[in-house]
Amino acid sequence: MGTECDRIEITLPFKADYVSLARLAVSGICSRMGFDIETIEDIKVAISEVCSKIVSVGSETAHGYTIVYDVAESVLNVKYFCDDPSIKCIFSAERDGLAIHIINALMDRVELCNEANYIVSMSKTLEVVK
Amino acid sequence: MSDDLRFRQEDLGDSVKLSLSGEVDIYTSQELKENLYNIVDANKTDLIIDCRELNYIDSTGLGIFVGALKKAKEHDKKMVITGLKDNIKKLFIITGLDKVFTIE
Repeated sequence: MGTECDRIEITLPFKADYVSLARLAVSGICSRMGFDIETIEDIKVAISEVCSKIVSVGSETAHGYTIVYDVAESVLNVKYFCDDPSIKCIFSAERDGLAIHIINALMDRVELCNEANYIVSMSKTLEVVK
Repeated sequence: MSDDLRFRQEDLGDSVKLSLSGEVDIYTSQELKENLYNIVDANKTDLIIDCRELNYIDSTGLGIFVGALKKAKEHDKKMVITGLKDNIKKLFIITGLDKVFTIE
């Protein structure tokens, strides 16, 4: 992988049909990085939860949303972008309790609400067994 | 695009077994909801959900299980979940739903 960050981007329409594609992509990326199968399953769930929420919110102006996977040597950083500024802070503790709980438990760092230009950011670090 | 969700229903006399295989996500969850709720409403017996061949579930699917459990309790019936794979059982534990459901 090298020390530089590799960037993989995938843009999906606001359709439930394609959420599994985000899981498939991150599964391949994490496998290349060396994550174990159990951790890959965890990351897939977290990635998919955010996709599902974005799809359920939808947009009347944007055609889709973009997931950016930044792959460093031992860290996977994931950010979700959308051109529609109304898609911000999409998770509600009251309505999305299960999803929030799952995402926070499975990822190392999670930012569900922010002032930046992305919707959600999260990361997972590869643990090296010594 | 998603791995399909498939259902197999068996009448065991004193209970109904619903076997799930494939994936439950936002794409397949509506199908799960319709099938599960119909079975709970239509049968006067306990419900066993066999998840041995279920490979993936998200919070949408877990929410549907919770809804089905509520319905089952309204009808004074039991709902048991069996054969959970480790990755799915982990989600039940994380969310505390392992304390809500009877898991075998």
